[in-house]
Amino acid sequence: MPTDIALPSDQTRPAPPPLLPRVGMVALRVLTPVCSVLALWYLAIWFSSLPAFVIPRPERVLDVLWVDRAFIFVNLLATLKVATIGFLWANIAGIGLAILFDLLPPTRHMLMPAAITLRNVPYIAMISVLMLAFGDSILSKTAIVALSGFFPVLVNTMAGLRAADEVQLDRMRILNASWWQTFSQVRLPYAIPSIVAAQEITGSSSIIVAIAAEWMISSTGLGYVINHAMQNYRGDQVYAVALIATGLSFVIYSLVHALGGRLDWRVAGEQRRG
Amino acid sequence: MAAAISIRNVSRRFGDNWALRPVDLEIAAGELIALVGPSGCGKTTMLRIVADLQEPTTGEVRIGADSASEARRKRLLGLVSQRPAVLPWKRAIDDVRFTQKIAGRVGFDPATVLREFGLEGHETKRARELSGGMLQRVNIASAMAHDPSVLLMDEPFAALDEMKREEIGEWFDRELATRPKTVLFVTHHIDEAVMLADRLLVFSPAPGRVLEVVSVPVPRPRDAAFRQDPRFVAIAAHVRSLLAQQVEAA
Repeated sequence: MPTDIALPSDQTRPAPPPLLPRVGMVALRVLTPVCSVLALWYLAIWFSSLPAFVIPRPERVLDVLWVDRAFIFVNLLATLKVATIGFLWANIAGIGLAILFDLLPPTRHMLMPAAITLRNVPYIAMISVLMLAFGDSILSKTAIVALSGFFPVLVNTMAGLRAADEVQLDRMRILNASWWQTFSQVRLPYAIPSIVAAQEITGSSSIIVAIAAEWMISSTGLGYVINHAMQNYRGDQVYAVALIATGLSFVIYSLVHALGGRLDWRVAGEQRRG
Repeated sequence: MAAAISIRNVSRRFGDNWALRPVDLEIAAGELIALVGPSGCGKTTMLRIVADLQEPTTGEVRIGADSASEARRKRLLGLVSQRPAVLPWKRAIDDVRFTQKIAGRVGFDPATVLREFGLEGHETKRARELSGGMLQRVNIASAMAHDPSVLLMDEPFAALDEMKREEIGEWFDRELATRPKTVLFVTHHIDEAVMLADRLLVFSPAPGRVLEVVSVPVPRPRDAAFRQDPRFVAIAAHVRSLLAQQVEAA
């Protein structure tokens, strides 16, 4: 006669929460901010008495998103291209410089002042100079995204590399470990949480900076769409782009956050335990 | 025959302040020397100079025929710090293997040793899943994994409670009987030093100088009963009075 045996997995793993409450929680997390934004939007329309081209109704903006979808989508792709390439360059430059400073400390004194100076030059001036040098090209737009993003990556990576536990570093020294062994096995894992934090900032802001650059100098991208809409008194189109840009930044932040959680040994450890 | 560790006129000064007055000491192979004294007396400085993690202001350290630097490069040294150096993202057994991989030398089978260290069933746990005592055992196993001839221990049991400290101390003494090492052991715990050491180097308060080298003429490993032994009591009392006189004089 068959006997019911409690399998080890049944004993050790806690039962997952019922599906319905989980779905309910996710829905609540999504609906709450959406509803509160919509509520504030309608309140602003009712109480401000501003014309519809300045503050259109949400349903009008959704309508624009549908009707102008082809135009918006083509320009969205252009913005994504600029933001992605700029983001990659920001990381190559930021992480690369931080590694160089760790490997050859004197280079930090040589290059850090230049990095700080670049950080503090007004972006408007920089975009103008890049426009004069390279015109409305992918190079000038990605350069400004990279320049705005590399500094947080650099500073966070440097701080992360310095965060390695001294007892671990002593252990590596006593074992006569090479620079690469110490870097890859101790310093880099300790730096991961800081690098992830930098990605959360740079990843989402690269979209915003790309749009700003396009708004100033470009004939493509969401920035250009805003420019075009303003010239034609199309506030609804501006709102549509703003909605897309905000959603995109939010999605990028969430993706980086989730991916970073998998790389972050502290979070990953908690998840394994949890 | 050359001493396992030879410390000759080793001192250390930070700016105008002496952290350690000149020390001379010859340590035989397999001997366990405890460095005892109040906080800030230069015990850890002495240990770090032997480990080649700090330069002496004067003098030199020889490990066998090698300088401290050569010995470190040859991976003859093992370091056990007060805070375990177990990598938080590695499982216990992988951390032991990690030492062997970096050192390029396999001193023993990690699984066997973790079992002998009383960690059977905990091999795949990470640092945060282990108790303080278990974690320190993994730390010691990792420090010994490449079979160093010299083990340098900086207050390794200080974070443990009194009972656990005595228990792990006795366990460590028994382990050394099966895997003999020359050990330099920093502690400010007098009873622990008398229990474990062949000789005690008693340091004065800062600036540290060696007040006396006290021998413990009882073969190791020693069991818990040794704490009741009149020799244990007498030596511990002597060391205490030495340090008390210094504190009063200061």
